Amino acid sequence: MTTISAVSRQLASRHHVADLQRRFPLLQIAALAVLYLVGAATVPGWTTRSTLSSMLVMAAFLGLAGAGQTIVVLGGGIDFSVGAFISAGGVFITELTSVDNWPAWAALLLCLAVAVAGGSLNGLISYRFRIESLVVTLAVGALVTGVLTGWTSGAVSGTPPTWTDSAVSVINDTFGLPVPPIVVIWAVLAVVAGVVLARTRAGRSLYLNGTNPVAAKRALVRTGWTWTAGFVASAVLATFAGILLAGEGGGNLDAGDPYLFQALTAVIVGGTMFGGRGDYWRTVLGALILTVVSYLLEAHNYSTGVQEMVYGLLIMIVVAVYGRERKIRDRV
Amino acid sequence: MTRAVTRFLRTRPYAFALVLLAALLIANIIAQPSFANPSNWPETLAIFAPFAVAALASTPAIMSGGGGIDISIGPLMTVIDMVIVADLLPHGLGSPWIVVPLCLVMGAAVGALNGALVTVLRFQPVVATLCMNFILTGLATQIEGSTTPQGATWWTDDLASSFGPIPGGLIVIVVVLAIWLALSRTAYLRNLYATGGDDATAFSAGVDVTRVRILAYTTGGLFAGIGGLALMAVLREGEAGDATMYTLVALAAVALGGTAFSGKRGSLLGTLCGAGCMYLITNVLSASRVPDTWTDAIYGALLLIAVIFGAGLANATQARTT
Repeated sequence: MTTISAVSRQLASRHHVADLQRRFPLLQIAALAVLYLVGAATVPGWTTRSTLSSMLVMAAFLGLAGAGQTIVVLGGGIDFSVGAFISAGGVFITELTSVDNWPAWAALLLCLAVAVAGGSLNGLISYRFRIESLVVTLAVGALVTGVLTGWTSGAVSGTPPTWTDSAVSVINDTFGLPVPPIVVIWAVLAVVAGVVLARTRAGRSLYLNGTNPVAAKRALVRTGWTWTAGFVASAVLATFAGILLAGEGGGNLDAGDPYLFQALTAVIVGGTMFGGRGDYWRTVLGALILTVVSYLLEAHNYSTGVQEMVYGLLIMIVVAVYGRERKIRDRV
Repeated sequence: MTRAVTRFLRTRPYAFALVLLAALLIANIIAQPSFANPSNWPETLAIFAPFAVAALASTPAIMSGGGGIDISIGPLMTVIDMVIVADLLPHGLGSPWIVVPLCLVMGAAVGALNGALVTVLRFQPVVATLCMNFILTGLATQIEGSTTPQGATWWTDDLASSFGPIPGGLIVIVVVLAIWLALSRTAYLRNLYATGGDDATAFSAGVDVTRVRILAYTTGGLFAGIGGLALMAVLREGEAGDATMYTLVALAAVALGGTAFSGKRGSLLGTLCGAGCMYLITNVLSASRVPDTWTDAIYGALLLIAVIFGAGLANATQARTT
């Protein structure tokens, strides 16, 4: 008797932990704290302002790049054109302001227009023709990259505007706050995205559509609109991340390429899963974890190869703990 | 007449890619008459083979349904290429009796691992293979080191040109198709279609869904092993940076070939046609007078249109579920 009740108690407590983890990213917060403490203990200069600041800047890029992907993934799709739009943001802002002498507001407006057009193309085509979003975004991404290559004749000339540089420069303050502006922008975005996803009709429609599109339609969710809006948001946010990224590395035709899979990793490591499970706060955590891991590995002189392998293992651990699918025999 | 054509295209998902392939072949021969010259075929086929095999290797996982996809095919081919160039050839292990079996085993093992992650551990396929993508890309970067390793030996050079009268690239593609044909002689392919169509129903009907899916990923990995060989033969070096590109191009070729990403329909021949279309599009663009810098944009636009027609027409027959 005692053993049975002990086992059932143990099962219940394990169930309880898994349940809590599903509601609240306990594992990620613990992992972040442990990783940070390991860094503080083993890496000299880890807790200085400049290290912290540069970590936050890197996490902000990852977080901004992953913001749109989070929205699309929650809605049940996937966006493989994130990298192309990040490159587009950087290239447009650099070329237009320095070579064509456009004022910054006009260049920003054009970036917005391109992102909205591209995102709508992603959403509308995949919805209307019922093609997997992965394939459509892949093709739209190729189109965007191609147009950029053609327009710049294969090489970006000019320098990005100075305000992008000062927005991401590690040593800068934001109205007295001791962090660069990009980190503040990221924090504001996280709050806005959190509120929109959890508290507005649009956010709830997105979750509903991601969990079960048929049920969502029956519940009078405008599924086509919700789906497309998700992709537009993704393209706009990626382009915005690209504009700021120009301040760090200059506008580049392939600046966005590494961010496609890295941003997706931040989303998954944070614990957002396909189809309506998760939120943007988790992606923020995911971006912070990836950043701390990469700084830690770099400080201990591991190569980028090892870094990528660790990213792969991280995804595996997080997903193995609670992101798994149902057993097939439970779905019959 | 138009309705008959539309219906023909709808009931045969690969038909669009086949028609497009024929049109592109003609366009290529007009734009570049030397394209039809048999003496150029070995080179053309050698360049085409890695792309084609990457696309073929991506197909079984997608056909297995349940959101099945393998985005680690490109990195797997790159790792195999890298192992041959950086590890085997410099240590005098260049004999085909060592290299070929080793590549096949490595490819199949990674594929089986993907399959186990998807079925036994119940990972989302795109997530499982994203892990593998990172691990393999990391491994390739690690092996590559600071210099790009280079190397070739007699039989890989033949693979990049021809063995006697037979082009090496053709052999690579035919071997892959022959393996698939052998599998289709067994109950396996029917079980794969059943699983891809509706896994729960297939499971109820007694299909061992787990085994079918693991085998699908393993087959894809095995093909990627062959693709890695073809890639090494034509490149003669290991370049870790291009790994993702192969994955993305391969997925586009699969979509173009009429294989549904939901797993309900698909064929390796369709994928081959799709890959052929992609290759011929780039080829005709570089042969025509379009400025070099704009070829990427036209390629992207054509890809988008082709995907809408190829996948969209095929999907139109499906019952509207939303």
